[in-house]
Amino acid sequence: MSIALEHVGIRFRAGVEALRDVTLDVGRGEFVAVVGPSGCGKSTLLSAIANLLDPAECEVVGRILVDGSAPGTKSRRELNLGYVFQRDALLPWQTIDQNVQLGLAIRDVDPRERRERSRALLEMAGLTGFDRYYPHQVSGGMRQRAALVRTLAYDPQVILMDEPFGALDAQNRMLLQSELLRIWQASPRTILFVTHDLAEAIVLAQRVVVLSRRPGAVKAVYDIALPYPRDAFALRGSAEFGRLETTIWQALRDEFRATLPEPGVA
Amino acid sequence: MNRTWSLALRRAALIVAIFALWELVTGGFGLGLVLTSPAILARPSSALAELGPYAASGLLWRDLSTTLIEAMVGLVLGIIGGAALGLALGYWRRASELIEPVLVSLNSLPRIAVAPILLPWLGLGIASKIALSFFTVFFVVFFNTYLGVRSVEPELVKAVQVMGGDRMHLARFVVLPSVFTWIFAALRTSVSFALTGAVVGEFVGASSGLGYRLNIAAGLLDTKRVYLILLILMVFAVTLVEIAKRVEARLLRWRPSAVLAG
Ligand SMILES: Nc1ncnc2c1ncn2[C@@H]1O[C@H](COP(=O)(O)OP(=O)(O)OP(=O)(O)O)[C@@H](O)[C@H]1O
Ligand SMILES: [Mg+2]
Repeated sequence: MSIALEHVGIRFRAGVEALRDVTLDVGRGEFVAVVGPSGCGKSTLLSAIANLLDPAECEVVGRILVDGSAPGTKSRRELNLGYVFQRDALLPWQTIDQNVQLGLAIRDVDPRERRERSRALLEMAGLTGFDRYYPHQVSGGMRQRAALVRTLAYDPQVILMDEPFGALDAQNRMLLQSELLRIWQASPRTILFVTHDLAEAIVLAQRVVVLSRRPGAVKAVYDIALPYPRDAFALRGSAEFGRLETTIWQALRDEFRATLPEPGVA
Repeated sequence: MNRTWSLALRRAALIVAIFALWELVTGGFGLGLVLTSPAILARPSSALAELGPYAASGLLWRDLSTTLIEAMVGLVLGIIGGAALGLALGYWRRASELIEPVLVSLNSLPRIAVAPILLPWLGLGIASKIALSFFTVFFVVFFNTYLGVRSVEPELVKAVQVMGGDRMHLARFVVLPSVFTWIFAALRTSVSFALTGAVVGEFVGASSGLGYRLNIAAGLLDTKRVYLILLILMVFAVTLVEIAKRVEARLLRWRPSAVLAG
């Protein structure tokens, strides 16, 4: 499944123009990362694609197509979309295991099969033995891993990820990046991955889209010509990685600068 | 474990000390120290001695069961009614906008003030006490449920929606669990409200019940019995609240314990 955005603009009725004239194509099975300064509309963009914006709150212009159809025209189950939220969004009153099974329960999958799939996914996420814990009883990294496999559980063909590793420490973050790479390489699905971490974007994605500061517009798009399978650790030391990081940082820096007060002139 | 035991011990010691002091200033322990008239403050040991005749007459059991039934039926009906209306209005915005001022005015009315009008409607039997008990509980549960529906975490709603969940799934996985926490948060308050409703209803007019017996004893200046019944009511309320606390801790064990302690 693919995602196509044509001249998309989003304005909140409260007064903020979040996005302006965003045109972007994510092909079937493609891994695209979006970077941009805080508040430039990255989360809003994902919400619009997933049809989660409240029409009473904002106005959307332009065209959004997911698998060729506009938001709201196909049932969500048919669309089979995955969304990993900026905060983990696990149900606090359900155990880790029940949370992982949530999408399958909604799809009325047979309980036995649900349990089996959950067990396999929890093992993959290194959460074996924590299946009966409640979210508040496990660490932030474990919650985020649970949220990731909860999305994988029902095998969505498009996955939107909103800074899924943003709240993690550097080690956990790299481990999860490797895990995500491994999963995607094993069975490519369309992924739109929002992050404010440029290195993360380069390590993971085939293309990196740089958004300008608010109102967010596509400032530049970079092809990341690093071959897969990639190694999230080894890659960071390579010359090609350094070159890409420098180039993209040039574009990104101005956008970040403009959102911060100029230092030194006191 | 050690800490909880030592705390329990110290708490028990405090209660014993309070009773000992009370016994002392009402002329107890053969020391003849009487600070107030026995018509105002009965000696705890003589109040407790009243328990024998009260129980032997068969009235204790009758009063206890009357009040318990009134309070419990009122509590259960109040929770069911309050939760049902809270859910309905939480979902149905139009209706809630319309009806909210009515409910807010009714709620701001001191609830037990309606007791005198319930009596001519429902008579001296338990129905009028159940109604008063229901009325006091209903609003607490209603407002908590209503707020519970309204304050559901939007992120959780979105997570279930994205996965393809419909309204039923949202209710089952997000709204109801969230509302339950609000109802249980109100459970302890509801229990003591239910008891208050029943006892006050009995004050106004009844033929049995702890409140009725208390009122008669007070009229006869039977201070010992008054204090005995107050003690019984206290034990009764503490037991119910303790049960409510256990139920709450069991059903809300998914919550961080810091919240439970509060
Ligand atoms: N519901 C809303 N109502 C009004 N304004 C909103 C709403 N949601 C977001 N905005 C505004 O839209 C802009 C973009 O917000 P968004 O959350 O998409 O930013 P972001 O790029 O995801 O930022 P971050 O990196 O900090 O998560 C912000 O200025 C925000 O204040
Ligand atoms: Mg965001």
